[in-house]
Order: sequence, then structure tokens, then C-alpha cells
Amino acid sequence: MTPTPSARAIRPPAFARLARVGLIAVALAAGSLATPARAQAAAGTAEDEARALLDAVIDNLRGLSERATLDLTVERPDRTVHYRMDIVSDGDQRSLVRVSAPPREAGQAFLSIGDNLLVYSPRLGRSLRLPPSGRSNAFLGSDLSYDDLAGGEYRDRYTAAVVGRSADTVTLDLVPQPEAPTPYGKLVFVVAAGSHAPESLTFFDQRGNAVKRSVFSDFQDVDGRTIPQRFEIADLLKEGYRTTAVFRDASFGIDIPERCFTEAALERGCF
Amino acid sequence: MRPGRRRLRSSGRRAAARDEEAGISPRNRHAEGRAGGGSAALYRLAWRNLWRQPRRTLLLVVVVAYATLAIVFLWGFIDGFMTGMLASQGRLVAAPVLITTTAYHEDPDPSHPLPALAPLERIAAERPEVRSAAPRLEFGALLRSPYTSEGVMARGVDPGREAAVSAIPDTVSEGRMLAGPGEIVLGSGVADRLDSRVGERVAVDASAADGPTSLGLRVVGIVRSGTPAVDDTTALVDIADARRLTGIATATGLALDVPRGQEERVASRLGAALPAGVTAYPISALIGQLARAVGWGRVEVTVIGLVFSLFAAIAVTSTVVVSVLERTREFGVIVALGLDQYRLSTLVTLESVYATALGWLAGAVLGYGLLWLFSVWNAFGPLFTGLYGEMLSGITLPDQLLTVVRPQYLLYASVTIALAALFAAVAPARRVRDLRPAEAMRSE
Repeated sequence: MTPTPSARAIRPPAFARLARVGLIAVALAAGSLATPARAQAAAGTAEDEARALLDAVIDNLRGLSERATLDLTVERPDRTVHYRMDIVSDGDQRSLVRVSAPPREAGQAFLSIGDNLLVYSPRLGRSLRLPPSGRSNAFLGSDLSYDDLAGGEYRDRYTAAVVGRSADTVTLDLVPQPEAPTPYGKLVFVVAAGSHAPESLTFFDQRGNAVKRSVFSDFQDVDGRTIPQRFEIADLLKEGYRTTAVFRDASFGIDIPERCFTEAALERGCF
Repeated sequence: MRPGRRRLRSSGRRAAARDEEAGISPRNRHAEGRAGGGSAALYRLAWRNLWRQPRRTLLLVVVVAYATLAIVFLWGFIDGFMTGMLASQGRLVAAPVLITTTAYHEDPDPSHPLPALAPLERIAAERPEVRSAAPRLEFGALLRSPYTSEGVMARGVDPGREAAVSAIPDTVSEGRMLAGPGEIVLGSGVADRLDSRVGERVAVDASAADGPTSLGLRVVGIVRSGTPAVDDTTALVDIADARRLTGIATATGLALDVPRGQEERVASRLGAALPAGVTAYPISALIGQLARAVGWGRVEVTVIGLVFSLFAAIAVTSTVVVSVLERTREFGVIVALGLDQYRLSTLVTLESVYATALGWLAGAVLGYGLLWLFSVWNAFGPLFTGLYGEMLSGITLPDQLLTVVRPQYLLYASVTIALAALFAAVAPARRVRDLRPAEAMRSE
């Protein structure tokens, strides 16, 4: 199983990030760059500036509840599989994902509450709490893992630095701190200079080789934030391995009922 | 006169002279033969007959001695090899003795940790056989590299004490052993599957009582023991990191180093002193699957040993039979001189028994002497490792290969030799009983 770059690297600790773009990186970029004033205020040195930028991005990811439909396409050299799922999130620690198509997979559901991740299997008719080892399994056979979706608190585990600027983009390097629980050697995050929307996030191994790349597009302005509605994750080490996620009918800042974050909702849904 | 007849007459004269020395006159000998008495004289005669043909007797004694020695040494070597392999594998996979909770032994989950370690260490230290002790905290973990992830049973160890109870630190072939927190040592199979190298960081995910935990640890060493069970599963971390990852303040086990062969006894004696719910397990209880495999290996070797014994028995039998058959002419003369055939067959059997007993005694002395020598001198360990270490890459040959000395090996050899000698004595004895002196004396 291959870890998912974007989710693993910068996602806040909520499965709900998938609801926003499925991956923290997207929201991170959107949120951080949507609040440039805060970043600039904190900028004393280059390091402080980068740090403030990163903090602002993550802060902007929080607190925005969401309900959306996600189309997930998993491409492999010998097949392509399309999934559709309904997603709700309280924008912080809780989220619920229920698969609606294809029929063979419909009914599967994933409930994330903080660090705990529960999976409902309609075939088994029961919910299971994923152990750490199971969390590395591929999420619906995609380039995402349950672990990616459950996420962890990564904001405090990277040291950010602005390493490049051009007329169109700003490039951030995120280097793991010494004991950071990430296997990557570095993340390179490229954002648009004007809109501060994320353009790409590339994951490097510890030998300097790019191993995964997320590319963001189809931006939507929401409550002063620019949020991509489409992203692609490509495995750079395995040709033909790609996952594409497209959000449709996204509603932000709405009231999500508490019942959506219960085991009952995991099995039967909440809408 | 033909040379053969001269030898026969000369031999007859020598025999008569010896009989006179033994107090057996030709007349008496004849009378004893008819009356069936004079057993003591017959025993003496049989003993003397052994030395009438020293080379023939020596050959039989040597064959029996060799068979006895070989059987005794074979079993002592096999037992030593098996014990050594079990011990060396055990020190790689587990420990000579491990103090842990009964619950953890039945369900290896860190939620069944030991109570406070200090009292247990004191109890262990009171046993003079316990040479050292080291705490361990084992837990399920997920290792992640940039390319893949791997579930392992990680072992938290005290880097300064682990080498005294485990052979794994000696098998770190690349990099070094742990020196402190923030580091991890991987088995070569684990490192290969993760594609992780020395100097790189892996993410370690675990599960504590209050939720998932994770750490980034730098790979400082790669273990290549040659044992798949070790190389494919090993992940050593500092016990401080293991405690951070699991939330366990103590350990799941206290590994003890005790002299080889004393594991069962030390575990049993420690068990009586440990608090309720805590048990000391010897190596055989810790590596059940491997111990069973070694048990099966012992069964297979037993078959080989029996085949070997069969060949040894055939060698003894054929030597005895040939040594009797080549004396047909001599027996014809003896019968013609008046010794009845029943007593002659007894005489022949006694000669075989004497020679066999001498050989058995010599073989036993030599065999046990060699076993003792190689039980204190580790000559085979380096030899086997050097010769077969590469060829038997899936097996960890013991560095210390000492033979075992057990009294039952003598029983194995005795049964083999006795059966062979019995079988060897029956046919010639029957042949002697059916002997026709005139025909026998004409035979070449």
C-alpha cells in the first residue's frame, strides 16, 4: 500500500478533509493563501513568514462544515473504477463518508472522530474499528489509504520555508522535523501568487526523488476562500497509477446534525 | 606334508600345551565333553582362544568398538546439534528465559504488561544462574516508508542490556545497534520491503490505550542473521520510544540470560518466587513452533540413527560370522579330538561374546571420552559455521556446537551390539552343532 502524499503531509486531524478536497493539502493551500494578511503580519523573518503562512492555511481549514458529493476515479494500468460517495464534515474533528456507487460497493461507510476511524461493511453488517495496521490498506483500492483519510496532526511536524517566488507562484518547502512521523524527506508546495490557490503538492523521498504529486484545479470561491474542487494524485513511481477526486454540489458552512457522527449514521446514513 | 597340515598339527600342539597349562588333559577334555560339565574351564578356554588368533580377535574388537563409539558419539552429537540450534535460534527469536505475565504469554498484547519491574529484577538477580536481565516491550506497529508500509511486532529494548540476553545485536551487519531513543534497527527483510536504508527515517504508528500514536525513527542498523524468522520481522526500538508509543510504563517481559541447558530448571525455580499472574518461561515455551520443528528434526534424525545402527550391526555380524566360518577346519579337528559339538558351539558363542564385550567396552570408553572432550571444547561450532554457513543460509547454525553426554547413548549402543552379536552367534553355533568332523577337516 502506498501512502497518500497530500493527506499524509499536511492534513489536519479529521477525515472531514476529504469532504473539502479529500486532502488537507488542498484546503491548506486554499485556506492559507486566502488569508495573506495574517501571514504577512506574522512575517518577521523568512522562516517566520513561512511558518505563519502554514499556520494560516491550517487554521483556515478548520471550522468550515461541509456537505458534498465526491466522484472518485481510480485508474490502474488494467482497469478504471468510478466511485460516488456522500460526505459530511463538521469542519474539525468529525466526518462521515458513505459510498453510493457502484452498487457493488454501495453502503460502505467511514466515520472519523478524532483519531478513531470506524468502517461499516454492508456485507458483514457490522462496524469495525481499524487497527493501525489496517489503516494502511488502500481506501477503495485508490492511492489513498484509510490512514491518509484519518490523518494526524502534521502541522507541527514540518518546518516550512519559502524557497521560490515568481510572478505567478510561491513555492514552499516543508521539511519534517527530526522525530516527525512521516517517511517523506520533503514536500514541495506550489501555490498561485495571485489567488494563493494551490497548484501542486509534490512528495519527495529521503533520497531526493519525487514519489507522488497532487495537482489541484477547478477552484471555487467559498466564503472568501479559493477551494479546488478537483485534484489528481499520481504515483510517480508506478506508471498508470492515478486517483482523481471531483467534488460536486458542495455546500459549505451549513449545519450538520449531530446524528451524522454516530455509529447509527455509519450504518444507515443521516440524511 | 602339505603346509596346511603342518599348521594344523602345530596349532594342535599349541592348543594341547595351553590346555595342559589350564589343567585340561586330553582325557579330561574328552570326559568333560561327554559329561557336559567343566563350564569354568570352557570359559577359560574361550578366553584363551581369543588370543590364539590375535589379529582376528583384534579385528572383531575394533569393529565392535568402532560401532559402539560411532553410535554413542552420533547420538551425543545429534543431541548437541539440536540443543545448540534451539538455543541459538531461541536467543535470536526470544530469550533463554522470559519473565512475563501469563496473560501476555497467552495473548501477546501490550495491554497485559508486567507490574513494576524492579521487584522482578531483584527476584531474578537472587538466582545465581541468572547472568543478566533486560526489559522488553513488544507491540504491534505499522512502519511506513515513502513507498509502502509494513506491519511488524516491534520490540522495545534497553540498548545497553539487550546484547546480554539476545543474539540479534551481534547480527547487525550494516550500520550499528541502537544507541538511544529516536532510532530503529530493522531486519533485512523488513528493510528490503520498505526500501529503507541506514540513515533514513521511517514512520512508526502504534496504538496506545488512549488512541493512535506515531513517531519518526531513523534507521541506524540492518540485521542479517540468516534466519528468515528474524530478518523478516525484526524492528528494534529504544524502550523509551516503545513506552511513548504504547503508553505502557513498564515492559511486557524481562529477558534473562542463563547458561545453556539450564533454562527449564531456572524458569521453574523462578516461577515459585514470582507474584501471581507472572511466570518465567523457558526458551522451549517461547519458541513453540521452532521447538516443534526441532522435535520433528529429532524424529527424522532418530530414523537416520537407527539406519546407522543397522549398518553397525551388519558390520559386527559379518565380522563375527566370517571369523567363525574360517575356523571350520579347526572345529572339525576339535570335535575329532573329543569335544562334543554342543560344548563347541558354546565355546564359539563365548568367544564371540568375549570379543564383542571387549569391543563394546573399548568403544564406550572412547565414545564417552570423545563426547566429553567435545562437550567442553567447541571445535564443531566454528567448523560447521565455516563449512556450511553459506550453504544453509536459512538456518542459523549455532556458533557454539557442543556435544551432549547422556547415559542412554550407551543403552542404544548396547542394544545394537547385543542384537548383532546374538544374531552373529546363532548361525555359527548351529553350524558347529551340525558339523561333521571328517568333512570339516577337509575343508579349506
